[in-house]
Amino acid sequence: MKRLMYISVFLVAIVLGLLVTFQFRATSRIAQGVPAGRDQEMAIELSRLEAEKSDSQREINDLNDKLLQATKGQKEALSALRGELTKARVAAGLVAVTGPGIEIILDNPQVMPQTGKASTLFTIRDEDLLRVINELRIAGAEALSINGQRIVATTEIRLAAPFINVNLTRIVPPYHILVIGNPDNLKATMDISGGVVEYLRELGARVEIQTNDQLTAPSYSSGRQ
Amino acid sequence: MWLGIWALLGLVLGVTIGLNIPLLFPLSFAKYMSVAVLAALDSVFGGIRAAMEDTFDHTIFITGFFSNALLAAGLAFVGERLCIDLYLAAVVAFGVRLFQNLAIIRRHLLKK
Repeated sequence: MKRLMYISVFLVAIVLGLLVTFQFRATSRIAQGVPAGRDQEMAIELSRLEAEKSDSQREINDLNDKLLQATKGQKEALSALRGELTKARVAAGLVAVTGPGIEIILDNPQVMPQTGKASTLFTIRDEDLLRVINELRIAGAEALSINGQRIVATTEIRLAAPFINVNLTRIVPPYHILVIGNPDNLKATMDISGGVVEYLRELGARVEIQTNDQLTAPSYSSGRQ
Repeated sequence: MWLGIWALLGLVLGVTIGLNIPLLFPLSFAKYMSVAVLAALDSVFGGIRAAMEDTFDHTIFITGFFSNALLAAGLAFVGERLCIDLYLAAVVAFGVRLFQNLAIIRRHLLKK
């Protein structure tokens, strides 16, 4: 009876000792760790931050969409601007233009082999060239050049006797005019009766007109060089 | 007197085992454990007192020890779920009994 008592007390004391030590170790860990209630605080903050994060994510998606649309619009605008720029460069004569058109050769009256003199006293003047150019323009010429000199907005065609200056460059006969545009329209305009070509032919000048599917009018800058 | 020596021996052995076991309870159990320790302590003091009064019954002692510990831990657990600090009831009840038992033990020791 007594012995049983000792054994039970002994056993219970062991269990008690175990419990107390476990508790000590657990609480000492708590003391090192986070204070009580901190976990709930952190959980609340976590959920708040997660909500914020999802909000931000939505905003990111929204802004990405907007950016995408903006860049899409930008691309179109860019291609439109490029087209405009190309057109402007063609119009300004900064690039060589290739396309169908006509080729006109104007020359002064032939020298007669027998007499060594021209059949008439007529020579092609700057005004004649200007008239031809003017006619070609109204016929829808997109690009013009005379003897390699591209005709642009600032181009002058001026008599600087005995030569004609185009783009401050002397040109000599025969005058070789390249015109890019609708060949039929251009040729019809040139051949019109009572027109400038007929007038020049009557005065004895040699005028040849050829349509061509593939002509290249040189650029203005290359003409200057 | 022998009883006290046995109890001390058991306590020392338990503490040594507990310190050397790599096993650790999770932190969330610490609250229940603390109340259970208090209940166990009360049971041990009750047992010592009963032994001094020569009314010791080891069945009552052992069952009392474990049931007190379990009830205290269970109260703490339920209290946590119900948002009431129910473990306070266990702390007060066992605390009061602890001091009563200690007082009686002291008187028995002094009477001898």
